[in-house]
Amino acid sequence: MITAENLTKVYGKRTALDNVSFEVPEGEIFGFVGPNGAGKTTTLRIFAALLEPTAGRASIDGADVTKQPQQIHSRIGYMPDFFGVYDQLTVGEYLDFYGACYRQPKPRRVKIVKDLLDLVGLSERRDQQVDTLSRGLKQRLCLARALVHDPVVLLLDEPASGLDPRARVEMREILKELRRMGKTIVISSHILPELTELCTMIGIIDHGRMRATGPVHEVIRQLSADRRVRITVVGDQERAVAILKPLAAVRHLDTANGAIEATFEGDDSTAAEILHALTAEGVRVSAFSQVDGGLEEAFMRATSEDVE
Amino acid sequence: MSSVIAAFWNPIVAKEYRSRMRTWRSPLAMMVYVLLIAGLGYAMFSSMARANNAFSGSVPNYGQTLFKYLVVFQMVLITLITPALTAGAISSERERQTIDLLFVTRIPPFSIIWGKLLASMSFVVLLLLLSVPIFSLVFLFGGIELDQVLYSFLVTIVAALALGLIGIAFSTWLRRTLAATVASYMGAFLLVFGTVAFGIIFPTQIDPKSTSPPAPPAVTYLSPIVPLVAIADNGQPLVNYLIRYDYPNGFLAIQNRGTVCKPLGNGGMVCSSSSGAVGPVVTATGTAIPSGPFVKWQYWQATVVLQLAIGLFALLVSAFLLPPVRRLPWRRQRPAVVSE
Repeated sequence: MITAENLTKVYGKRTALDNVSFEVPEGEIFGFVGPNGAGKTTTLRIFAALLEPTAGRASIDGADVTKQPQQIHSRIGYMPDFFGVYDQLTVGEYLDFYGACYRQPKPRRVKIVKDLLDLVGLSERRDQQVDTLSRGLKQRLCLARALVHDPVVLLLDEPASGLDPRARVEMREILKELRRMGKTIVISSHILPELTELCTMIGIIDHGRMRATGPVHEVIRQLSADRRVRITVVGDQERAVAILKPLAAVRHLDTANGAIEATFEGDDSTAAEILHALTAEGVRVSAFSQVDGGLEEAFMRATSEDVE
Repeated sequence: MSSVIAAFWNPIVAKEYRSRMRTWRSPLAMMVYVLLIAGLGYAMFSSMARANNAFSGSVPNYGQTLFKYLVVFQMVLITLITPALTAGAISSERERQTIDLLFVTRIPPFSIIWGKLLASMSFVVLLLLLSVPIFSLVFLFGGIELDQVLYSFLVTIVAALALGLIGIAFSTWLRRTLAATVASYMGAFLLVFGTVAFGIIFPTQIDPKSTSPPAPPAVTYLSPIVPLVAIADNGQPLVNYLIRYDYPNGFLAIQNRGTVCKPLGNGGMVCSSSSGAVGPVVTATGTAIPSGPFVKWQYWQATVVLQLAIGLFALLVSAFLLPPVRRLPWRRQRPAVVSE
């Protein structure tokens, strides 16, 4: 559905995007994660045909962004990270205006505006001036605006930025609803927990380079070369630590809350060997469980490589 | 909906109308405009009436004089208003970060410019319509024909169009509304007043050997003021200002049998030499340009054509600068790569 092939964007001397490639199949929610300035907005603007890539190709549903911008615009709903609203227009008129810009006929627009206001929960504010809306409500209105022409793909640049926790939850509920409606969604964010819950796929970008991309759990595994186990022992904890410390695979040991957290390098069989080392020495292990580092950690690891 | 109506009624026009007419600024501007024109008309009339009482013998052409001052003053007001209407057209969308939202719709960039232009020009036309009742009073005095009024309004509207397009071009190019406003006003003043000022500073020097009547410098045709004066006076515009004869070497020339020429009120000239012999008298009549690159054209025709050319150029510049991704025609024709 969405394809990026070796996308490169150079601004003067600065390379904003460096050979970025990824693919998002239909119906997926692709979380685009990276620190500020990593190239998320640049990528999304290229997909919205608002920027021309220096090299590489990007296409949505078979339409090339540089050669068929008209087709791109009818396929995508784009919500930029920063946007403004017009003064002197009501919420209903605002949506109607964009409906007209997308060449929706007048009778259809009436229905579209009503449905979209229902979807984003702004029905009671239909006649309120748009510039008097709170930030969270403007954000929702902007999302509704991106949907006026019923696009197949949504490109959302930081839709939750600057929202309070409640508004963020509401935004997430709306996005879930959109996923049920079968939209393919690309959503960029630097707030990770909300992406893990919402997204089916993820791409981690940093310094213009794609660090990892694929289904959420795969990316986490791909990036977590180091894994962690939490070990609870009955009796002498120091002895267990003393046994673990010399093991080659073990990188780091932590004792907290009566449990040992061991960070090690390797796979499942390495974990089994660690357990075996303990039990062979007669340590009575009561619990031995792998700790999921989570996206946050994977992300930190992926993006810290180039920082030095 | 026919395609003609669709071209004139794009959603941007409707939106601009709505938001413009909902502010207090528009009715205020309209009121101030009418009051200024009516005020000038009244002041002119009362001063002429008073002056005439003193010399009751002559009956000046009230209507013609009044009309001349009103159309020129109206043009000055339009010059002051139009840049303010259009200089923010594109740059304010950029500043408010709404322009990308328009770019991703199916409205082509050219329609954005077109919509903005149409919306601001409608306001100018509205102002001109508001002044019609005042102008109709001029008819009470006589001396002005309907075609003079129509030509004057045509010149004014076309000038407003050119000024509006210049404003939009600067708005597209400079990105900041403040800079665009300053540049648009500079452009407008240069076009309307600067060209006339240039003509006054560097007027046409009468050539004593010439057999054709002198015409004002061609650059002054750029200003709508020149044809407006020509239409109202029903003659050559600004004679003695735009056409002049500077004694080449002061009185020395006259003493040394030089030739002295002076412009006639109708735009012609008369030359005489110091020996007393009177040279050829060449006269220009009517409102046609007597010589130069636009010879035999009416002043208003030359101005309208030049203004339209400037406007078209500004429009092309805007249309080239506005799109976020510039797709040049020869690049667009590259065959689209079919992607998987």
